[in-house]
Amino acid sequence: MSYFFPIIIIMANYRKEFSKIYDQCINKIYRFILLKVSSEEVAQDLCSETFLKGWEAYKNNPKIKNPSAFLYRIARNLVIDYYRAKARAQFVSPEVVPIIDPNPGLEEKAVLNSDLGQVKAVLADLKEDYQNVIIWHYLDDLPIPKVAEMMDKTEETTRVTLHRALKALKEELDKREVKEV
Amino acid sequence: MVTEKELISKLKELRQIKPEKEWVSLVKTSILGETPGFYLFPYFRPALAGLVSVLVFFGVFAFSQNAVPGDFLYSVKKITERSQSFFVSEQERPQASLESAQKRLEELTKIAETNQGKKLPQAINEFQASASEVAKSFSKTEGIGSNSEAIKKIVELDKNKQILEQTLATKIETEELDNTYKNLAEYLISDFGTRTLTEDKEEVLSQMKELAGQEKYLEVLELLPLINE
Repeated sequence: MSYFFPIIIIMANYRKEFSKIYDQCINKIYRFILLKVSSEEVAQDLCSETFLKGWEAYKNNPKIKNPSAFLYRIARNLVIDYYRAKARAQFVSPEVVPIIDPNPGLEEKAVLNSDLGQVKAVLADLKEDYQNVIIWHYLDDLPIPKVAEMMDKTEETTRVTLHRALKALKEELDKREVKEV
Repeated sequence: MVTEKELISKLKELRQIKPEKEWVSLVKTSILGETPGFYLFPYFRPALAGLVSVLVFFGVFAFSQNAVPGDFLYSVKKITERSQSFFVSEQERPQASLESAQKRLEELTKIAETNQGKKLPQAINEFQASASEVAKSFSKTEGIGSNSEAIKKIVELDKNKQILEQTLATKIETEELDNTYKNLAEYLISDFGTRTLTEDKEEVLSQMKELAGQEKYLEVLELLPLINE
């Protein structure tokens, strides 16, 4: 019994600390996932799983140096798993196609046609490294040394990747603009 | 043509992407077991906090049990199920995974019946993932071949899947599960082949072999109660 209460107190502290981490990171992690999967339902699903896994790991090892980077790593792996599972589940049937409307609705069309919607769509099509470097540097405001650390690359390589990522994004946007004209 | 500066400012606009507040708070509650911080009377804060916790917990979990893939509360339902699965022993895993697959199938049926086409692909993915979990759990556990209750359930699962496939007029691929039927059928045939059987049961065994030769493995499994009496 005498050991029981300290354990409860320690757990309550972990919970409190992880609660802070959750509040600080939930928007960033959700945005990070949504920009990759382009579906709110999938993003919610993967994001909640990210934090659940994060909490399970945190309970066992609360000394994780950089919880935010740790959560990003879980989210990245979950997104990769999601795309792998999606590729495996090749569900193609002529009978089902009419049930799922392949044409975007008016609202979706409006979103896709808007400037921001286009940037979002093109970003989702970029390769993973390019997406990550753009999101972390321009959306999360992380300085290059931090981004380099998250990407496990040197600062110089990260700068080059960022430059190439922006170029790829710009070229694809320009291409789509020309097509529309 | 956009300039680099314009592009960066557009990228920064993407910061406005945020999850819904209610969802953020629900997920936090279901992971950490905390409640959103609103109180009517400061004097009763501790009591109210307890009461709200209990109400929110039961309310959210009760509501989330009816959620289907694509619903607001579906992620909460999945977290609840995953948390429960931590307490399942290795031996009980096949049974638990079958129950979970049965649930996914029920969700899929519900979606098909209510014609919610948009939710269908996600629900099918969920079912396929749970079917592959069933296959995994069956491959891990030794002696599953003689567990007639589990085999009865797996047959039932496939029958329900077939009914759904007729409703949708399409086939839902579950390759790993199909391999499990094959392995189980082969295991049963070789197991009963080594035993001394009555004439009637010998007859059933030869029927099983015939069906296995025609690759009708599920029908082999259906014959298990006749030989296992």
